[in-house]
Amino acid sequence: MSVRDATVTRPAAAHRGTWSLTWGGIRTVAVLELRQRVRSTRWIIALVVWFVVVGGITALATGSVSLVSGGSTGSVGTAGTGADATSPLVPTGPVGPTVPAGPVIFGFVVFFVLFLGLLVAPTLSATSINGDRNAGTLATLQVTLLSAAEIVIGKLVASWFAALAFLGASLPFIVWALAAGGVRVMALVVTVLVLALILAVVCAIGLGFSALTARTSGSAVLTYLTVAGLSAVTLILFGLTAPLVNTQTDVKVYGVEGWDSEVTPECSWFTETRTVVHTERTWWLLALNPFVIVADAAPATTSAPSTASVDPLSAIRAGVRYARTGPETVVDECWTRSSSAVSPVPERRLDAAPVWPWGVGAYLVIGVGSVVTAVRRLRIPQKTLPRGSRIA
Amino acid sequence: MSITGADHGEGSRGIVVDGVHRSFGSVHAVAGVDLTARAGAVTALIGPNGSGKTTLLLMLAGLLVPDAGRLTVDGVDPVTEGYATRARVGWMPDAFGTWDSLTAREVLTTVGAAYRMSRDAAAGRAAELLETVHLTELADSPARVLSRGQKQRLGLARALVHDPTVLLLDEPAGGLDPRSRVDLRVLLRRLAAEGRTVLVSSHVLTELDEMADDAVFLSQGRTVAAQTVQAAAAARRTWRVRALSASALAAWLTQVRVPWEPEDSFTPPSDAPGALLIALDGEASAAALLTDAVTAGVPVTSLAPVGGALEQTYLSLEEERR
Repeated sequence: MSVRDATVTRPAAAHRGTWSLTWGGIRTVAVLELRQRVRSTRWIIALVVWFVVVGGITALATGSVSLVSGGSTGSVGTAGTGADATSPLVPTGPVGPTVPAGPVIFGFVVFFVLFLGLLVAPTLSATSINGDRNAGTLATLQVTLLSAAEIVIGKLVASWFAALAFLGASLPFIVWALAAGGVRVMALVVTVLVLALILAVVCAIGLGFSALTARTSGSAVLTYLTVAGLSAVTLILFGLTAPLVNTQTDVKVYGVEGWDSEVTPECSWFTETRTVVHTERTWWLLALNPFVIVADAAPATTSAPSTASVDPLSAIRAGVRYARTGPETVVDECWTRSSSAVSPVPERRLDAAPVWPWGVGAYLVIGVGSVVTAVRRLRIPQKTLPRGSRIA
Repeated sequence: MSITGADHGEGSRGIVVDGVHRSFGSVHAVAGVDLTARAGAVTALIGPNGSGKTTLLLMLAGLLVPDAGRLTVDGVDPVTEGYATRARVGWMPDAFGTWDSLTAREVLTTVGAAYRMSRDAAAGRAAELLETVHLTELADSPARVLSRGQKQRLGLARALVHDPTVLLLDEPAGGLDPRSRVDLRVLLRRLAAEGRTVLVSSHVLTELDEMADDAVFLSQGRTVAAQTVQAAAAARRTWRVRALSASALAAWLTQVRVPWEPEDSFTPPSDAPGALLIALDGEASAAALLTDAVTAGVPVTSLAPVGGALEQTYLSLEEERR
């Protein structure tokens, strides 16, 4: 007998609302999603292609960095700053301090992984809800005892895990960059964590759009536009708004006032009205950029300060903190001074407070907002349906 | 939500729909439906495409909010007590997808988990239901290799996973082979006999004759008729009477003043085997007419209703509509 007697009294199920979350419910949805995804062989192929591409870029970065820094610096394989510290003492070495290849390779690989991750993550989640709706599998999940929040979080976890698989496939190359020296182990940990967080937020954005739009192509386009907006438009806006935050300010300059070829130029203090750009009012645009967040969050390299700005992560970190500090009011323009002379202008003090917490905070708000939107859209019974969609 | 499950006497079981309306933009999908589906009976929901059957079932399943009117499912309101409703209702949509990459067994265990069953309970229930819908042999092949009829059976099993007391089936017979239709009929009769409420929408009206106890007819979002299948069978409808000589039959029918029509209106009845159409009030009149014909020596070979009982009602409603 396969069907039990319906008149048997069963314990009344505890009521659960739209927002109730249980571990079992989330796991059920996540396992369902991953099973659906993992069993398609294309997924494995995509991972292999990813591995090969990131590997290729790492090899290229390693090769070109060694060329630029004067052949094999010997730093690959020697951890720490050994090469950097000893090179000035080696008479046959290249002119100038050698740059440890590690931070540069690390920066390139991390940025490339982030770039590819931003391309891949939307495809993992941006068709998740409307795709299921079109395939007629969403409603069959909604009528079960799973809450809307469990369905959304489960889908988010599944797409995030899939994105993490790509991150995992790039880990060997990030570790390889670490082995090239100059990068702290802590930098690896922090960078991977921040990358994982950014991917989670992108997955959440995709999920939110897939709940909002009826067509899968619509949600994919909106997600890509959002990602492009965060990665590129923030930079463009930062550049374009520069004229808007211009002011005429008196700047105290230490330099040569009035050039006369007859006299040996002497540096002196004078005051001049100049146009300065108040980037301290627009720096937050940069803080929204995922590349800036990753660069700013990565701990400083182990190299000496003079070489620190060579690698992309350190350069961006210095740049965004410079922008946040705003324009200088005391400027050293004494170019004629002999190199041994000490400048009377105090060393510029950058705002050392990290920028990334602002970016991460904004991303968390966006991510949580997307998830809340998706859950509200999956609430049943529904009053309104997205235009052009059927429930089942 | 304190009233969840409180009002649970025998009287409140079954489905009650009272003046329900639901529009999508300017389309009035459901515009005044009243129906009662008794517990322990199979109720047929009949209507042309676009008459609001699916929308009504979506509201009963707790997926859509009605614009106006009241619904109760086993005494529970799907709008305010969605969770309690979903625990009781098994819903099988008409056009549903399956998780293609999952096997039939995984589909059922996943749904079991979604109904918060333990892993063992879900596995046991899946095996049971695969047996019931004769999919045991295909249990471990991916759902995408199943035929339409097999998917339909899997969908039925999915609706039964949590042992629901109310079943909402939207076109369950679509794509089923004759053997599976018989199985479906037997299964639904058994589910009703166990005291469950079964509401079935279908276009295959002859199937419903044998399956359903009650019928509700929808047209353009409204309830246009509700009757028991027994009453439908007893109602006046068209019968086909066949004899070895159509002209002799016609002559006798004219003599006993039963109006008749030739089945093929272009050729008058000839002295050859043929059939005529007559209107009769149920099976008692049919039996009486047959006795008289045989007594009068008319060589009658068969007397049977044209189409099913529900089909007659359905077609008469269609005519009224025009």
